[in-house]
Amino acid sequence: MILQTTHLSKHFGPLKAVDQLDLQIEKGMVYGMLGPNGSGKTTTLGMVLGIIHPTAGSFEWFGGQRGSNPRRFLGALLETPNFYPYLSAEDNLKIVAEIKRIDKPDIDRALTLVNLLQRKRSKFKTYSLGMKQRLAIASAMIGAPEVLIFDEPTNGLDPQGIAEVRETILQIAQTGKTIIMASHILDEVEKICSHVAIIKNGKLLATGPVGAIINDDILIEIGAEDKEQLRTFLPSLAGFTKMEETDFGFLIYLQDELSTSSINQAAFTQGILINHLRRRQKSLEAEFLEITNQN
Amino acid sequence: MFRLIYTEWLKWNKQLIFRIVCAFYVILLPSVLLLGKKVPELPPPIGTTEVLFIFPTVWSYLGYIGNWLCFFFFGFFAVISITMEFNNRTLRQNIITGWSRQEVFLAKFGSIAALSLLATLYYVICALLIGYTHTDVVYFSKVFQEGDIIFRYWLMSFSYMTFGLLIGFLVRRTVIAVFLYLIYIMILEPVLRWGVHRYFWEHPSMHFYPMNATEDLLAAPLSPIAEEFAQKAGFDLFMTPFEAIITTLLYTSVFVFVVFSHLKKADL
Repeated sequence: MILQTTHLSKHFGPLKAVDQLDLQIEKGMVYGMLGPNGSGKTTTLGMVLGIIHPTAGSFEWFGGQRGSNPRRFLGALLETPNFYPYLSAEDNLKIVAEIKRIDKPDIDRALTLVNLLQRKRSKFKTYSLGMKQRLAIASAMIGAPEVLIFDEPTNGLDPQGIAEVRETILQIAQTGKTIIMASHILDEVEKICSHVAIIKNGKLLATGPVGAIINDDILIEIGAEDKEQLRTFLPSLAGFTKMEETDFGFLIYLQDELSTSSINQAAFTQGILINHLRRRQKSLEAEFLEITNQN
Repeated sequence: MFRLIYTEWLKWNKQLIFRIVCAFYVILLPSVLLLGKKVPELPPPIGTTEVLFIFPTVWSYLGYIGNWLCFFFFGFFAVISITMEFNNRTLRQNIITGWSRQEVFLAKFGSIAALSLLATLYYVICALLIGYTHTDVVYFSKVFQEGDIIFRYWLMSFSYMTFGLLIGFLVRRTVIAVFLYLIYIMILEPVLRWGVHRYFWEHPSMHFYPMNATEDLLAAPLSPIAEEFAQKAGFDLFMTPFEAIITTLLYTSVFVFVVFSHLKKADL
């Protein structure tokens, strides 16, 4: 077990920012903490990283095997990248290495990984947001910790920055390290994580492997002249799970892949004339809202 | 402990403000005293300016200049060394990276103790150099006649910086903290002592305030004369060095303890 929290809670006055959170994170997981802004993800990470005192409950790193100060064995980035603005990337990472008590830190390797080696002597304050974020990832990699923690790692980045950071995290994940990542972006968690915990208002709503938690139904928009006939026909489709009535007809959810042409053909043989048929990209936001609103 | 202080050094040594503060201290400490050479004569009953440069009085004159410089430059630096860590959120990052809160505490106080030690060392070197080049006949016993002044100098510097750290930790915002540090020492405490305390209770206890005690560790060297005037008026102006040492040690311990317990409990 890498991290276990037991009834972990943090109250700010009447506000229950984190409420009785139980998480179990095992070695090798790429664990996403998914929740809207203000759902308690950062507060939870702040507690397990020792900067916020829990109101109640407890947590334990590495099954208590790493002594009283296990943070030295973690690499963490919480919210914004925090560095000394007047120091260079290299000097900032030297401080990180000193704090982690690493005698010969491989700073160049960490900077190469995030593509910042050329700029290692530039002051941190001259970096773009994307570079700062990447430096934070490099900083988390110092000393090759077995667990990495990223909090909203793509926040505020442009599309290219987002792609770079995700690519870097995926590369790290492939080396078998345990990664804990907080995000409010479903797509990001789905692309990167193996496991997910969905958090809202400080409460754990669901947890498990990504495939089991996040619904990956196929969505199809369909409409016909005779709406009632279509309504009775649709549930007969293979893999049909549910449908919603819309202004163009219906939106149907299918569990299995089914080509639009075969749907069209099946409808035609039933004497239904389709006038609207379109495969739709899954609306991630809608689905996420669905998950969080169910509770 | 050495590793903690070294880490603080890595944070400081390339910081512009730290370099400016050190440069000012290094340049001003001897040069302000040596400006005394431009003054033909001091007001009676001192008369000649020679006392500024010869043993043993060079210690107290140079120490009094150091008193102002430490208050102004090092105290100021102590305040901003903490508030900037809060502004850049690096203090919390240090903890996330792996320091315990106790290590943060030891690193901060260890480094200001070391900086005070270096400042004191420089003071001793300057005093010895100026003393030896200006005293005609040097008796060793005269050189270190008031040797405890070296300890008092270190304590003075450490005490200003501890007070700076305290304010920095509690206030967290640079401008307000620096303002508060300067205003408290230059205005608030004197008003408390001479206005409020003396108004209600005219008693020597009005000297026993933290920053006044620190200041009196190396009191203005004109004090014998000033004290004479004050005594005629039935009043002591300064604390004795011994009183100042004890008072400063007590207050400094309280401040250190407040910072420690605050740091232990606070959410960062």
